[in-house]
Amino acid sequence: MLVDIATMAQGDFPEPMTGLTLMHYLMTSGLLFALGLVGFVTRRNLIIMFLCTELMFQAAGIALIAFSRFHLNHTGETFVIFVLTIAAAEAALALALVVLLFRRKETLDASSWAELRG
Amino acid sequence: MTSGLDMLTPLADLIGSGALAAPPAGEKAAGAVHGDIGAWVMAIPFLPLLGSLLCVLCAIFKVKSKLPAWITVAGLAGAFVAAFVMFQQTTGADGGSQWAVAKAFDWINFQWGSEGQALVANFSFYVDSLTCLWMLFVTGLATLIALYASEYMSHDKGPGYCRFFFAFNLFVFSMACLVMGDNLLLLFLGWEGVGLCSYLLIGYFYKKESAVAAAKKAFIMNRIGDLGLSLGVMLTFVHFGTLEYAQLFHDPEMFPKYLALAQAGDFASIPWQVELIPILLAVGAFGKSAQFPLYVWLPDAMEGPTPVSALIHAATMVTAGVYLVARFLPVFAANQAALGLVILIGAFTALLSATIAMRQYDIKRIMAYSTVSQLGYMFVGVAVLAPSGGAFHVFTHAFFKATLFLCCGAVMHGFAGQLDLRKLSGVMSMKGWLIVSLAMLVGCLNLAGVPFTAGYFSKDMILAESFVNGHAIAGWVLLITAGLTAYYTFRVFFRVFVGPTHAEPGEDLHPHEGESMEEAKANFHAHAPGWAINLVLGILLVGSILVAFLYPMHWADDMIATSTAGGIGAGDHTGTVLGMDPHKVMYYVSAVFGVTGILIAAFLHGPKGLWSLGIGNRSEAETSRADALVPKVGPVAHLAERKWLVDELYHATIAMPLRVIAHISHALDRLLVDGLVNLFGWLPRLFGRTIRPAQNGLLHSYAIRMVGGVGVVVLLVVLVTLL
Amino acid sequence: MLALLILLPIVFGLLIALAPSAQAKLIGVVGTFLQLGVFLIIALYQFDWSLGAMQQLKTTYPWLPQFGIELSMGVDSIAMLLLGLTAFLGPILVISSFSAVSTRPKTYYAWLLVLQGAMAGVFCARDAVLFYVFFEFTLVPLYMLISLYGSSNRKAAATKFFLYTFTGSLITLAGVVFLCWWNATQVAQGAYAGAGGWTFSFQALESLAMLSPDAGGMPAFVQTWVFAALIVGFAVKVPLFPFHTWLPLAHTEAPTAGSVVLAGVLLKLGTYGMYRFCLGMTPLGAIELAPVIAVLAIIGIVYAGLVCWVQRDVKKLVAYSSVSHLGFCVLGLFALNSIGLSGSVLYMINHGLSTGALFLLIGMVYERYHTRSMGELGGLAKRMPVWSSFMVFFAMASVGLPGLNGFVSEFMCLLGAFQSGAWTGTGSIAGTVGDLGPWFAAFAALGLIVTAIYILYMVGKVVWGELREPQGHSASSHDDHALPTDLNAREIGVLIPLAVACLFLGLYPTPVLRSLEAPTRAMAVRVESAREHLAVPPVDLATDEAADAPTGEPITLRTTNEGEGE
Repeated sequence: MLVDIATMAQGDFPEPMTGLTLMHYLMTSGLLFALGLVGFVTRRNLIIMFLCTELMFQAAGIALIAFSRFHLNHTGETFVIFVLTIAAAEAALALALVVLLFRRKETLDASSWAELRG
Repeated sequence: MTSGLDMLTPLADLIGSGALAAPPAGEKAAGAVHGDIGAWVMAIPFLPLLGSLLCVLCAIFKVKSKLPAWITVAGLAGAFVAAFVMFQQTTGADGGSQWAVAKAFDWINFQWGSEGQALVANFSFYVDSLTCLWMLFVTGLATLIALYASEYMSHDKGPGYCRFFFAFNLFVFSMACLVMGDNLLLLFLGWEGVGLCSYLLIGYFYKKESAVAAAKKAFIMNRIGDLGLSLGVMLTFVHFGTLEYAQLFHDPEMFPKYLALAQAGDFASIPWQVELIPILLAVGAFGKSAQFPLYVWLPDAMEGPTPVSALIHAATMVTAGVYLVARFLPVFAANQAALGLVILIGAFTALLSATIAMRQYDIKRIMAYSTVSQLGYMFVGVAVLAPSGGAFHVFTHAFFKATLFLCCGAVMHGFAGQLDLRKLSGVMSMKGWLIVSLAMLVGCLNLAGVPFTAGYFSKDMILAESFVNGHAIAGWVLLITAGLTAYYTFRVFFRVFVGPTHAEPGEDLHPHEGESMEEAKANFHAHAPGWAINLVLGILLVGSILVAFLYPMHWADDMIATSTAGGIGAGDHTGTVLGMDPHKVMYYVSAVFGVTGILIAAFLHGPKGLWSLGIGNRSEAETSRADALVPKVGPVAHLAERKWLVDELYHATIAMPLRVIAHISHALDRLLVDGLVNLFGWLPRLFGRTIRPAQNGLLHSYAIRMVGGVGVVVLLVVLVTLL
Repeated sequence: MLALLILLPIVFGLLIALAPSAQAKLIGVVGTFLQLGVFLIIALYQFDWSLGAMQQLKTTYPWLPQFGIELSMGVDSIAMLLLGLTAFLGPILVISSFSAVSTRPKTYYAWLLVLQGAMAGVFCARDAVLFYVFFEFTLVPLYMLISLYGSSNRKAAATKFFLYTFTGSLITLAGVVFLCWWNATQVAQGAYAGAGGWTFSFQALESLAMLSPDAGGMPAFVQTWVFAALIVGFAVKVPLFPFHTWLPLAHTEAPTAGSVVLAGVLLKLGTYGMYRFCLGMTPLGAIELAPVIAVLAIIGIVYAGLVCWVQRDVKKLVAYSSVSHLGFCVLGLFALNSIGLSGSVLYMINHGLSTGALFLLIGMVYERYHTRSMGELGGLAKRMPVWSSFMVFFAMASVGLPGLNGFVSEFMCLLGAFQSGAWTGTGSIAGTVGDLGPWFAAFAALGLIVTAIYILYMVGKVVWGELREPQGHSASSHDDHALPTDLNAREIGVLIPLAVACLFLGLYPTPVLRSLEAPTRAMAVRVESAREHLAVPPVDLATDEAADAPTGEPITLRTTNEGEGE
């Protein structure tokens, strides 16, 4: 059903994407997101977890760009550009925090920080 | 004194004298009390009040002299003069019920109904001959005793002296409100006011724990009675719609109606509310006048300075209950049961406390129990519908009991607080003690009811009327009590005032510098009373004798006849006892009982020689023939000495359980009442604590739960879409 | 002018916050005296005491017009008297704190003044929501005073005080909202033409309460429930047994001025609320539940009195005595007749004066000895005669000695309860309205004895007896304060106005009683005439026949059978 809609929408697209439909992009995005999620949940290492969140971020970005292209406007792309820049800043911050945390306890295991336990 | 009166007259003119109420239509028209007595009436309560305010000023300005005493004496003398004028003006005209109301100012005046119904209780004074009778001896004795106290309390000059005379003045003010108030609430004000002064004065030596406890006991015991009185006041108000005597006693729809019904024997037509009023009032009277079961405070009240015991706890305040019954006699007469109750309690108390007095050693306590006993007489007198007998006994008793107490006080003052009759002997033969001893003798003769004394006549009136009016049992009980009274009275006299000279100082002995207690005891010299004490005792000595002459003048009868209690009971001694005029019979019978009592006292306690008619043989202070008798009487004597264990009984059955209940309540309050509140605070905490483990601080578990949550949402969406 | 009464202290409170801390006392004194001055101007020149039953000095601004909520103020003579008490206590509170508060004076005086304003607001409010806002807002300043300036266990006490009273008031709020919702939706159109039928104005709510159920007024059983909801908050505030346990804790932990204001005015917010809401807006509920509330009040009188007797802490004793005393006040209210209601209002004033003074006195001793335990203190008459004289005076006022203030009101409360009910006399007074009776008065009067027991117990321990002072207390001088052994002029100056007021109200209460006649009689008549709605049968059952027949008991205001005696 989704494929039908996608092909319909691409009726008068300037250069029809040969074989690659929106569905493919979304699938890629979903897979990436799932990978990130699984990684985030299963791994204990803070840096890996952080990378996993980045992965999920990018998965969302891919979906946004695909939709943007699909709808023939630039809203999604604009979003992604913002997200990318902010993600860069945030990555710097987060890695700095990770370094600080590592200095505190000489470990990167996430479960060593459970100060918020009730 | 005129200056004080001048100060008051404009005030009284302004607010008082104009408000002299005329008796309502149907009574004798205005002018039944002639002359303008408003200012004089006002002076009686307000001069002592002024005096108490001046004593406060003295305390503030740290007066160290006897000034407060002189202020008091002057103020009270002024009040006495005013009372005398009031008496003259009230009883001048003949016949009819003469009364007047003098209003000072509004106290409580509350219109509560749409029809003009009001709760009115003003500071206004109801004057009739009953009021006059009471105020005469209250102000007169208060003046004398204040003079006495000026010397007696002189070792306490300074703040204590001011405090004493402040309370003394306030007492007279309260007593005036009690007796003169024209409504039940002002009576209640006086009632509680005298209670307060009694509390302050009993606890005058506040460093003594026993004095503090006695003061507390007196106040609380009185409060129990006040509970009854206040309910009686409320019932009166709710039933009659007013608290003012002018209406209660003179409105034909109120007391006169029920009195008439009662006198016609139609008790069935009297509603139970009216019948309940006297019973409630009687409870109040029993509290204030120390009758069984509320009498135990009075003997303990002897912790106070002796002038206080004489004035408050013998002569005046404790007769307030008798006043209440006499004043409300019309409504008492409407309930036979209430009268019966008063007679029963009065006679029983008279006997009970006489038996206790026989076995006490503290002379002040003996006098206290004697007061309780005599008050019982007065209640019986009033309740057998011989109000003139009761009132006359109040009057005579006030004089001779004050005399007796002041003599005890002089002894106590002179012998460093010694009151034990085993440690004093032959005071009369010591230098400077003659007036005291003679006054004591006169007092004892009166109390014992020796023929031709005032006490003899007044007691006789009560006894005769109780036989005539069908209360022979009470009459016999009182006769026996008269014998016991004569015995314990002369036991004191024979042991303390005559016989071999012996004196040990009491516990108030303070060694001089560089002197041990033993040396001080050895060097002890009694100091004889000074001029003020001797003067007062002299006046009272003469007064106690002269009061007897009022009897043949039928003064008390006349006074009562023109008051609200007039016309109640058999004033015309129609009945007979043993076939003769009851009063004549009683002259002989009661004389026999009295003299027998004295003879027994002489035999058991009298010293060798003329004083005890040659039948006594006591040769030392400590012991007497009576001691040998005690073992033969067995536990009765011991129990009487222990005051029949009534105090212990009250403590075990009322005070202790109440205290335990209080502790239990407190525990309940903390555990149960507050516990429930805390439980409600604790329940949310419990809930929080239960779900707290979920907040484990671990990033993964949050992440997993988040994923799970999202999964659930997605699942739900899918399910909803599919369905 | 009324707004000035509220705003002046609050503005001065803000001023204190802005000014340097050395000026805090001065600004506080000026602020409270100005409030008192404004009150006096209102009382003497603007308020017409002869029309005490009417709302006067009304000012109204729209607030939330969709729901008919207004910023509406106005006072009748009852509110005026309580405002007077508040304004009178203001300077006393500030001046009495001079030596007691040494740390952070700005916060202290600022909150104290804000509290003064909030309390005035409660008595001025003529709108249920405005009332509620002020009523709740009083919690904040007192919470601050207790939790910042109290004794050792102050945090717990403040928390309990806040949460307990707040929870209670929420139920009251629910009751108010339900009441207004009912009026907006159930009452027949035209009965109240407000904003969509919504109104929170006291006047409207009171008149709507008099609607018969036929016209959509609340039937008796609904009123009973609403009454129960309304009274919860007020009962906690009063506090009525068994909702009283926060009070002893709060009192013992609070600073002196906090205790004084708590006993003096804040508890009266509860009884005032009962008068306005429970009696005014749900008269049928009041009639139905009066015996229950009265029984609780009587239990409180005796039970709290007994608990007083076993206290060791003087302040706790006086705190429990408040529970006992306020029982009389509530009893008078639910006598539902003129005498009882007036006695109750007068009791609110009198209790504020005498218990406030007792707390002040205890505070003065505490500043000197740093203990309130009766085991450690005793016989102070020797050391502090002036203090002791005042103590005995106010203790007697508290006992209800005639001639002092407590007696008149206590007697009237008891008399009201005695007179209340179907118990009819035969003389010029025929039984009056209400649902209590002599038994209620008789049991409550046991309180007279219990009060005497515990007050004299306290006086006997603290004032009389051998001198006992805490260990290590130097007799000649007190530790850290520059306080003399006995009271200083400032302290005497604080106590004298209270003593004079006690004497005046004890010896000449007539002016106050006069001003209470009209409003209380109006209330008694309202409650009594609401009674006819008690027995109205449900509308659908009312046939013509039943409508003609006298519905239920024909209870009207019984009048005297005048002319019979003539």
